[in-house]
Formats: sequence, C-alpha cells, structure tokens
Amino acid sequence: MTGFVDLFTEANSALHRMDPRVKIVAVILLSLLALILSELAYLLALAAFMVLLLLIGRASLSKTMFAFSYVFRVMILIVVLWPIFDPSGATVLLELGPVKITWEGVLDGLGTAIRVFCLAAVWYILMFTTSQRDLVRALVKLGLRFDFGLSLAISLRFLPTFGATVESIKDAQRARGMELDKGGVAKRARNYLAVLVPTTVTALKTADMLSLALQSRAYGARADRTYLRELSMRPADYVALAAVAVVFALSFVGRYLLSVPL
Amino acid sequence: MEKNEGERRPPPAPARFVSPKVVALYAILTALTTAVTMTLVIPLPTRGYYNVGESMVFFAAFTFGWRAGMICGGIGSAAADLLLGYGFFAPITLVAKGSEGLVAGIIGNIKGGAPWAKIAGIWAGGSCMVATYFFAEWIFLGFGVALTELPANVFQVLLGGLIGLMLSQAVAVYRNPRPKQA
Amino acid sequence: MIPRTHSIPSEERVISVRNLKFVYDGGVEALKGINLDIKKGEFLAIVGGNGSGKTTLAKNFNGLLRPSHGTVTVMNRPAASQTVAELSRVIGYAFQNPDHQLFCSSVEEEVRFGPANLGYSDEEVKRKVEHAIETMDLQSLRGLPPFSLRLGERRRVSIASVIAMDPQIIVLDEPTTGLDAGETKVLMEKISHLNREGRTIVLITHDMRLVAESSSRVVVMSDGRIVLDSDPRGAFADIDLLRNCSLVPPPVMLLAHSLAKYGIPKDIMSPQELVLRIVLEKGGAR
Repeated sequence: MTGFVDLFTEANSALHRMDPRVKIVAVILLSLLALILSELAYLLALAAFMVLLLLIGRASLSKTMFAFSYVFRVMILIVVLWPIFDPSGATVLLELGPVKITWEGVLDGLGTAIRVFCLAAVWYILMFTTSQRDLVRALVKLGLRFDFGLSLAISLRFLPTFGATVESIKDAQRARGMELDKGGVAKRARNYLAVLVPTTVTALKTADMLSLALQSRAYGARADRTYLRELSMRPADYVALAAVAVVFALSFVGRYLLSVPL
Repeated sequence: MEKNEGERRPPPAPARFVSPKVVALYAILTALTTAVTMTLVIPLPTRGYYNVGESMVFFAAFTFGWRAGMICGGIGSAAADLLLGYGFFAPITLVAKGSEGLVAGIIGNIKGGAPWAKIAGIWAGGSCMVATYFFAEWIFLGFGVALTELPANVFQVLLGGLIGLMLSQAVAVYRNPRPKQA
Repeated sequence: MIPRTHSIPSEERVISVRNLKFVYDGGVEALKGINLDIKKGEFLAIVGGNGSGKTTLAKNFNGLLRPSHGTVTVMNRPAASQTVAELSRVIGYAFQNPDHQLFCSSVEEEVRFGPANLGYSDEEVKRKVEHAIETMDLQSLRGLPPFSLRLGERRRVSIASVIAMDPQIIVLDEPTTGLDAGETKVLMEKISHLNREGRTIVLITHDMRLVAESSSRVVVMSDGRIVLDSDPRGAFADIDLLRNCSLVPPPVMLLAHSLAKYGIPKDIMSPQELVLRIVLEKGGAR
C-alpha cells in the first residue's frame, strides 16, 4: 500500500493535548483565512505560522516529507503555469508571440502557491496530532450522529485490513501468471477485476459478519448511550480557540467590510 | 440487590439509528474504496495518480444505490487523498466523487439497472467528477493546472467506469448465485 | 510395511535455496538463513507453528517475495532473474484462502485464467483445463459460479486453477484448513495423485496427521530456521522438538511413545502399524 494508513504520530506536544473539537474548528477557520488573504506578505506570514505549528506539533520528518512532496510539485506547477494563463497585469516582463508574462501574474502565481501550501499544511497538522479515535469522537461531539460516527470509526479500523487483503489477492493472482500493468485496455480491465472481485466479495462477507456482531453487542438498544471517555475543554483550549477566531474575524471584517487590501 | 434494581436507568428510549446492516455496509464500502484507491495506483506527473478507486465509486452506486455511491465514494476517496498526501484536494474530492456516486447511482439504476442506464450513469456521473475537478482547480490552482489535469481525469473516468460496471456485474453473481441444479 | 503412495524422488533438484534470509519492511526477520534442496518428485511437507516462516519461505520460491540475502534457484535458473509470471510456469501456488483467487462467473472460466495468462494456444489451454477439471473432479460443477460452491469445492477449484498451468512444482498453503474429515480425505487423495504423476508437491501445514499420511520428507521450521529435515518417520521420533515448535503429533504416535517401555518402537506412523507391532512384540507371550 502506498502512503500511510494513519498519519497520526504519538507525542506529547501542546497540539496533541489540545481538545480535538478546538482543532477541527481552528482548521476550518484557518483554511477560510487562507482563502480570504491575497496579499503576498500576509500569505507568507500565515505560511510561517503553519511551519511553526508543524514544529510545535513535533511532526515526524518522514510523514511531513511524504505529505508535502506532492504539494511542492503542485506549487511549482502553479508558479510556472499561472503567469502564462493570466496576462491581465499591467507591468509586462516578457512577450513571446501570444504569451505575455506580467509582474502581477507572477505575484498572483506565487500567492496561489503559498495559499495551497497553507491549505495543505493546516489539514496535515490536524491529522499528524490527532488520533483517529479522537477525531471521530470530536465529530460526534460537534453534532455528527453517533451511528455515522460509528460507521466512520469502523471504516478507519478496516482500512489497513483491506489494504492487506488487496495486496494478498494481488499476489495470489500474480502467482497465476497475471501481470497487472501489461496488455491492452480490455486485458488490463480484466486483470484489475481479478483483484477487485475477490476483494469486494471478501469485504461484503466481512460486512455481513460485522452487522451480526453489531446486533449481538446491542447496537441501537438505547438512544441515551454513555461514553467511556468524555472530552473536556481546558483553559488553554479556550485561549487558542479565541485567538484563531479573533484573527479570522478581524481579517474577514477588514477584507470585506472595510475593504482593506489584505 | 433490590436497591440496585431501583437505581437502574429508566427504560431505554427507542434509538433512531440506521440499521446495523447499513452501518456495517457503509463502513466497509468506505474502507474498501479508500484501500483500493491507495493500493491500485498508477503514478502520474501532475495530479499524481490514476487510481482504480473510481471503479469502487461506480460499483457502490450501481450495486447499493445513490446513497452508498455518494457517501462511500465521496468519503472513501477523500480519505485516500488525505492519506496519500494530496490533502488539500480532499474537500474537492469529497464533492467530485460524492456527486459522481450520487448521479451514477440515480441514473444507473433506472429500469432496474439496465446496461444502457449504467453507461449513461458513468457518462453523467463522470461528467460531474471531471467538471468539479476542472472548475475547482481553475479557481484554486489556476487555469493552466486545471487544463493539464483534464485529460487524466477523463481517462480515469473511462477506465474506472468500465471496471466498475464489470465489477458490479460480477459481484451480482456472488450476491445472488444461481441454484446448484442450474 | 504400509505401501507409500508418493512417487520415488529422483536426484534432480527443482528448487535450491542457499543461505536465504528475509526481512519484512517493518524490520521483522522472518527467515534467518535457510538452506534447502527440493528434489523432483518429492512430496515435501513444510511444518511449523504460526509465524515460523513457512509461508514466507514458499513465497520466496515463486518470487512473490525476493530474498534480502542469499539465493533461490528454480529448475537450475536463478529465481532473481525471473518475474513472478515466468516462475508461475514451473511453480504453481495455491493460496490458503481460495476466495483470494476466485473471481470468474464459472468454474471453467476460473480454471482457464492461469493458462490463458501464460499465452498457450487455444488448443493447449483447452487440454490443460480439461485435465485440471478432471483431476480435481469438478466435471459436475464446471458451469457454476465458484462463489456458490462450498469451501471444500472452492479449494478444489483454486487448486485446479493452479494445476491448469501445468507446473512441475505445486505449492499448497494450508489446503485443508476449515475442511471436515471427508473433504480433507478427498483433497489429499487428489494431491497424492498429482505427486504420482511426477509433480513435486510442497505442502505447508501444521496438521501432522496429513504429514504422516502423505509426505515423503518433512522440514520442520521454527523462528525462521529449519530445525529438522528428515523422512516423516524420523520427524515423528522427536516429540519434544515437535512440541517446542507448537506441533502436535497424531494420537497414534503419542500412544506409541507411551508404550515405548513395553518395547514398542517410537517411530510408529499409523494405527495399522501399531497393531502389527503389538502383535509382533507381544504375540509370543500369549
């Protein structure tokens, strides 16, 4: 399986200790903030803040490199392509036939690339510092229905299992002479089916058994279910939430009500 | 002992949860979509990868209806984006694949899921996905990036649709096998 | 003596493993230096507890796993230079869970998938499919979807789909798990038949009764190493070693060991043999 099944890294940082509900709200506000800002200086400041958060959250180097390797590629692509397709600026730097590169276009491209970095970083900081269990619990506390939350939690639990199942089935078919990425479109489609049909059938059998297991463990017996662990907000959580909310509110009011260039 | 009886909580209020069958099925389909998207990957230079995950969205939509297509396809694909390192695409993917599953599920099940309905479902659902990615990329990443991504997305829909269609056909045999005397 | 049912192994080596070490991505060293020669026509049983490295070793034979250190030679050619698809012409591998291999809408189609992948002519494919279906006794099921069959039947289909590729060596990973006594007997008869055809069988199992009944050679694995390599009779003589490897010898051998002080030899292989020995040893005292 490519990628990480779980991005969370165990550690004892301020971000790890933060209430997951605060983190989710903060991530949404910071994402919106990245979309509101358009001046390069402010975007750079936000990006610097993201880097600071990554450091505070003790993000593992290998997972950070993995998470951003593609983000960096897209950023380069944006910086290169944006000016070519946006010739609306006034300060012309270069004119080659129909292609016109302007200083404003270059700046916009840079700004967009940095915004993409901020948008990616903020979500990865959440994933790096919050366990899947806490994430689901916070979503339920924020109003997600319990049964949907349970479904999500089960799904995360089965992800590594099915990842291994797919790999095992791929091996089983390779042992029968199948070469996944060889042949024409029809042959390839059939090869993928040789992996996907057993995977799906195995998964659906699991679903049948799981449904019985849920019933035998009294799923849905009563609506007023209790929880083993409750979430509780600490003073630091309120401070963090207030800080993010104030910065977001100021930016929003400044940009849209007072028309300050931000 | 008698006292304990008295301290018991009041009789349970009826839980208005979805049935355990649905919880289990949706959980499994979502995990399956994520796992397949992450495992069967053909790397690409730009948006990263063709994946066969597309076929799972169509499969869920054709076999279990538009709700499964939308929820499992959308969430499963978005989760794979996050875990594969395409994190900021996740919200876009949620909309793109969710709408794809929704539309393919509605159109693909017309007349009990006739082959032409499924093909129409692939076309309509696939269009939703391609259009969502194109416009979202245009807005957030610029026209240039959006344009370079377009052919890859179209190809992915065609391949994923074909495999998803065949998969739903094959698994129908498993879910309703002919009797042994056949 | 009980007549043995397997073919007589020749001296020709079909698989040769030298100093094989294998480390999984997570850092677990599953194989810690394996040396093993498998001869043509042998019925080799690889036994050991869960996690002893049996399956890891077998997956190194056909290239599904590649050695971290050491070499694997298959039919006198280094396995490292061949793809899994190339190796699948000589080594058939039936996975433990048949549901990991079955995907077609009929048994016949399923059996055809392997040989068709190898690019044989239509005529050739047809002949091999017929032979496999016949060997595994699937004629009456050939038109049915594999998923509608029972576990024992599904396992026969998965083995047939491997036989159809006409491999010289057949690796069977725990083929009797989940089968009842009747199904196990039927399946083991088919496997012995394949061995009598001259094919080399590698049976991975922890069912010592199967080993006693069918194999010609036993390799006992523990913690990534081969701790014993002998004929079944020799393997069963060392009950303590088997116990240390989480293996339980068949009851008749435990009984023979308990009777050792009455002059019964420890290397009893079957109830018939035990009866024979008791009659021989004690017959005169009547």
